[in-house]
Amino acid sequence: MAQQVNITDLDLPQLADVRRQLEEELNHLTNSFTQLKQAQTKFKNCIENVGEIKPANKGKTILVPLTNSLYVPGKLSDPEHVIVDVGTGYFVQKTRPQAVKHYTAKVQYIQGNLETLQETISKKQDNVNSVINVMQAKLQQQQQQQQAPAS
Amino acid sequence: MSTTTEERNPRGIPKAPFIADIEDHIGGPDGDADGPLKRFQDALAKYRFMESNLSQRRAGLEDKIPDIRKTLMMVEYLHERREGKSKATQDDDLDAEDEDDLEEGSSQKPLTTTFELNDTLYAEAELEDTDTVYLWLGANVMLSYKIPEAVTLLKTKLEAAELNLQNTIEDLDYLREQITVMEVNTARVYNWDVKRRREKRLREQASGSALAKTAEG
Repeated sequence: MAQQVNITDLDLPQLADVRRQLEEELNHLTNSFTQLKQAQTKFKNCIENVGEIKPANKGKTILVPLTNSLYVPGKLSDPEHVIVDVGTGYFVQKTRPQAVKHYTAKVQYIQGNLETLQETISKKQDNVNSVINVMQAKLQQQQQQQQAPAS
Repeated sequence: MSTTTEERNPRGIPKAPFIADIEDHIGGPDGDADGPLKRFQDALAKYRFMESNLSQRRAGLEDKIPDIRKTLMMVEYLHERREGKSKATQDDDLDAEDEDDLEEGSSQKPLTTTFELNDTLYAEAELEDTDTVYLWLGANVMLSYKIPEAVTLLKTKLEAAELNLQNTIEDLDYLREQITVMEVNTARVYNWDVKRRREKRLREQASGSALAKTAEG
């Protein structure tokens, strides 16, 4: 959709514009990367949590959260099943191995996205760097031209 | 222009005085208008800062209050269940045979609940029959309370939070009034100053042309 314009053809203000635009996109992509990473960490935590509900813990007393600030002592009653939020308001009761599989699949899916994003980010970074180089070259050129008539 | 006896609202926010007579406030037709203008701007900045503080506080309170309500409801529910159970076990001693079946059902049923392990992960647990609940008070502090004490504590917390919220909303409204008064003052002083400069210029022009006439004649 964008025509191929050689960046050496652009003059200084236009180069500044292009650089600013690229840096904005870079910011945006980096933010998305951070968010994906956070989501991935959450899912990894879920895998650990599922691991805690093991049969060895059945019958042990735990503090059950009833609200954000209220805990009541209780016992684990069902160590074989957990309830997983699969999105759009659906909650599915799964066995522990099924839940672990579900979260692992999510973690891997995010990992794939993260890698693609990483590539896009480095390409953008390269573009920004080349624009900066061209800008510096032009600036030097301009300064030489200004000095030449003066001397 | 005295600032010693300013009125304040119950929480100590100073009232913005409305300047009815600008010339009097500035000190005559040749007084300096920039000083008062700067003072008004300072007062405005302070009011705005207070307003943003209070808005933040109000948002925080509006967040916390439903939470406290939920916790209070849960504790009261647990309390009722325990009272129901202990009444059942007392009656058990008095009339043993007849109501045995009924009471057995209600006094033995434990409460199963699904609780949150993580954002998308829930597990099932059985609540023990206990007279102690644990309340998270924030700042890494959790205390255990007997159920009646917990009910009292939560009630006082809820009332204090609601009172705070009411006060904060009142303060915000009062502040908005004072900000408007200050802005009106600033506008009036500025306009008065503009008018005065214009009149001065016109007078000088008029006297200048009068002088020229007398010089000619």
